[in-house]
Amino acid sequence: MGKRLLVVLLVLGYLGALAAVGVSYYSGLKQAADWPPKAEGAPLSEKDLPKVRKTVQALEKRIAGFSPRGVYIVVDTGENRLYVKKGDEIVRQAVVSCGSGDVLQDPTGKRKWVFDTPRGEFYVKSKITNPYWVKPDWAFIEEGEPIPKKAEDRVEAGSLGDYALGFGDGFFIHGTLYTRLLGRNVTHGCVRVGDDDLKEIFKIVPLGTKIYIY
Amino acid sequence: MKNAVRWIVVLLVAAAGAFGQQLDKASLVRRQQELTAESELAKEPKFYFVLNVRQRSLELRVKGMPLRAWKLKSMKFWGQPAFSKTVVLVRKSTLNPPQRNVIKPGETTAAKDPVKFELEALELKDMPRSFSLEFDNGLHVSVKAEGGGLRSLAEAFGWYAVLPVRNLIQTRNGKPMSELELSFENEKDAQAMYWIFFEGIKGLVY
Repeated sequence: MGKRLLVVLLVLGYLGALAAVGVSYYSGLKQAADWPPKAEGAPLSEKDLPKVRKTVQALEKRIAGFSPRGVYIVVDTGENRLYVKKGDEIVRQAVVSCGSGDVLQDPTGKRKWVFDTPRGEFYVKSKITNPYWVKPDWAFIEEGEPIPKKAEDRVEAGSLGDYALGFGDGFFIHGTLYTRLLGRNVTHGCVRVGDDDLKEIFKIVPLGTKIYIY
Repeated sequence: MKNAVRWIVVLLVAAAGAFGQQLDKASLVRRQQELTAESELAKEPKFYFVLNVRQRSLELRVKGMPLRAWKLKSMKFWGQPAFSKTVVLVRKSTLNPPQRNVIKPGETTAAKDPVKFELEALELKDMPRSFSLEFDNGLHVSVKAEGGGLRSLAEAFGWYAVLPVRNLIQTRNGKPMSELELSFENEKDAQAMYWIFFEGIKGLVY
């Protein structure tokens, strides 16, 4: 008797759970059928139609006006790609190396560096031929070397390639000795480019060019 | 008889025309709303996203320019998300968030021996293939790459059994749920979305 009651209860419970899911599913589908919602606000009359069309055109024009004139640079840090674009057209594209995302802590514990390529909107602030690298503190700390007292001991020639485009806070688009690592995230935040691509980019990009890094 | 058929055809054409005009008006109003919202985002020099639910597409934009586009394989939702306004991503979460490598000073192989150099970096391939995004308006978005096996079964159970019941309960309590699931065919697309979407990014969902 008790066993039979238990079986009945179990079956009823199972059917109840199924019914609950069924009802929920049905009401959810009904709710979903009402979405996406229809355009809100008062219905548009024939009289207002030209006005709305004009507003839409004006808005499209306004948004198009925000985009940069001339060439601009786009850097995809995940794919390690750099594009020089003009409008929708890609003028030049290159495989690059962006920030490694590694973290370095000063042994004194006072300073910490995260080697990410900065993201956002920047612009070309400087164009340098045969650049020298003035090694910052982290370069010595990373290699376990003492930080030099004299400025001239920080200068290193050749490691940035033939050209560099500065975009602020010590970040550059520059050349590299490690061309086999192009396409990988390996830098301390700068964007490394192969020699041929860098030469062409340096030629076509003027000072003030917008740079978008994501 | 011929006259009757002619009249029916004329009426059908007129009805179709009127219906088309209504659709055109509705899409025009919608377009105006979308552009008004986008112009507010586009005037700032910041990245934003546009998730077009109708066209199943997602774009990263800045100043009105699309920088990167994703094609979604599928998209489904529960509840009634309020999608008309600009949303802000408040939280990005995943079971196993990617970890940054911590450099030990003096132990970098690159400087000593470039040939033996092994890359220790946080790259796109290290990003999760499934994660969730929470927006300021209560919208919860699950993102995943198409996969198989047990994980899919568990996800299907959650989507088709747990969520409907939760949706019903929450709707009855006056707090309707907003759950959206985006699926990519290619896992790299999901990983790129995790890489690019940062907490605080604004966007439009329409």
